[in-house]
Amino acid sequence: MSYLDYSLTEVLALLNQGKVTSEQLVNECFERIEETKDLNALNSTYYDEAIKRAREIDSARKQGDKLGILAGVPIVLKDNINYVGTKTTCASKFLENFVSPYTATCAQKLHDAGAVVIGKANMDEFAMGSSNENSAFGAVKNPVDPTRVPGGSSGGSACTVAAKQCFASLGTDTGGSIREPSSFCGVVGIKPTYGRVSRYGVVAFASSLDQVGAITRTVEDNALMLNVLAGRDEMDMTSADIEVPDYTANLNKGVKGLKIGVAKQFYSDELCDDVKNSLNKVLEWYKSEGAELVEIDLPSLDTALAVYYILSSAEAASNLARFDGVKYGRRAEEYSDVVDLYFKSRTQGFGKEVKRRIMLGNYVLSSGYYDAFYRKAKRVQKVIRNEFVSAFEKCDVLISPTTATPAFKLGEKSNDHVAMYLSDIFTVPVNIAGVPSLSVPCGTSSEGLPIGMQIIGKHFDEATLYQVANAYELAHKEGQ
Amino acid sequence: MSITIDDVKKLAKLSRLEFSEEETAEFVKELTATLEQVDAINKVDVSNVDLLESTVDADTQLRKDEIKPSLTAEEIVANAPDSQDGAFLVPITVAEE
Repeated sequence: MSYLDYSLTEVLALLNQGKVTSEQLVNECFERIEETKDLNALNSTYYDEAIKRAREIDSARKQGDKLGILAGVPIVLKDNINYVGTKTTCASKFLENFVSPYTATCAQKLHDAGAVVIGKANMDEFAMGSSNENSAFGAVKNPVDPTRVPGGSSGGSACTVAAKQCFASLGTDTGGSIREPSSFCGVVGIKPTYGRVSRYGVVAFASSLDQVGAITRTVEDNALMLNVLAGRDEMDMTSADIEVPDYTANLNKGVKGLKIGVAKQFYSDELCDDVKNSLNKVLEWYKSEGAELVEIDLPSLDTALAVYYILSSAEAASNLARFDGVKYGRRAEEYSDVVDLYFKSRTQGFGKEVKRRIMLGNYVLSSGYYDAFYRKAKRVQKVIRNEFVSAFEKCDVLISPTTATPAFKLGEKSNDHVAMYLSDIFTVPVNIAGVPSLSVPCGTSSEGLPIGMQIIGKHFDEATLYQVANAYELAHKEGQ
Repeated sequence: MSITIDDVKKLAKLSRLEFSEEETAEFVKELTATLEQVDAINKVDVSNVDLLESTVDADTQLRKDEIKPSLTAEEIVANAPDSQDGAFLVPITVAEE
């Protein structure tokens, strides 16, 4: 057994007991990265820096110094998170050579907790996509079946954890970008409540929806990561000044007496049989453990995707206006004047999907259409949010499939952007409502592909999500 | 709602993006399809929705306006495609006399 087969929590115990060193872990991770490099999960790695830092932590541990709760654990950041002195490319040609002059708060918190950052994960360009095929540096492959996509946009982040190249990673989730790849790769991923984790230093896609979250191999690991990440940050005005509980406190408590909401809108005809059967088994299991299943109605759920494409594209068009070939990133080599410099730099620097979103965004924001699209979508967002808030007066969590199907084949949807957008149909409403949601593996398809369930909770009630997920995970560990 | 070639050309200009004739024609189709899809928002009754009410649970807090260390000009222009003396270098934007 390799140390890479342990969970983050288990390997921390081994580190603290002196049974393994951080240096050994970093070396094992880099060996695995080399063996599995065809997955194309990482855009950059930092072996020398990681080894140096691992040795420092090992020697501090030997001396009995007080260490952070993640001390010595190798982790990976999504390539849209700034970490000083490293490249942050957003998997875009535009930022191919961009070097972070500062560190994002989420990365700083992991660093301060002693985590060893070993690299940055591939992603869909500027986090726009559901298959990780929109990367300027090539598609990522699913480690379970390399002919399939890992999901997106945090495809590299999910892949690197599933392939055991590291013990945890950070992703970002605007419409499902942590949960969909976690589901496709068979790992655990959280989209925390909007405002729970600071986005300072994370390249913005749609600022009213973006959240940072962790991807791990177990629920307990994920809770531990959120303990480090959550909290108010004065550099992000949208981060909430709400107390951060110990997210591991509700683990091992079971689900007896909890009310689990089942909304029929999440169990539509689009579900493939394997996913439907897995979810039915999940719900039966929770019932047998003493949870109560409650029927919930979310009548406007099917409009969430439309709201999402209006709001996220509008915000993306605005956020990406800063990429002009002047301040940072790529500048076209030939241009006639400064305006032509903008046109040429943007046209050459952005990929197709990014251009598509910018065009849609500017359409819905343009004069004459703003009220019909953007303002209307903001109003519908409020209706959807209220439906979730009302639902949580009747239940503690909602359980749904994370995706309607397991991972699809590379290339299968890359020429059909409407089909691709439908991949996020169950995850998008969560971002629209601002509530937290955790994707957890809950079985495999007849082809052996991972299936994920999504546990959705009340605003700022991530602790209950971990409780519900942990109960299932403990009872369904391999070999049990 | 359908989109015309002129709409796409106008949008491209607003977006500071250039497209070939072929790409422009493709955008006409794509945007029309997407707009049909997003038309779903019109199914929802929003007559009672107050947009001014905050959707963020916690009150927004402003930080104190204090002077703190920040990046130097050199650190900032380090990523610029072209710079000189700690400033961004751009083509002439105002015509010479």
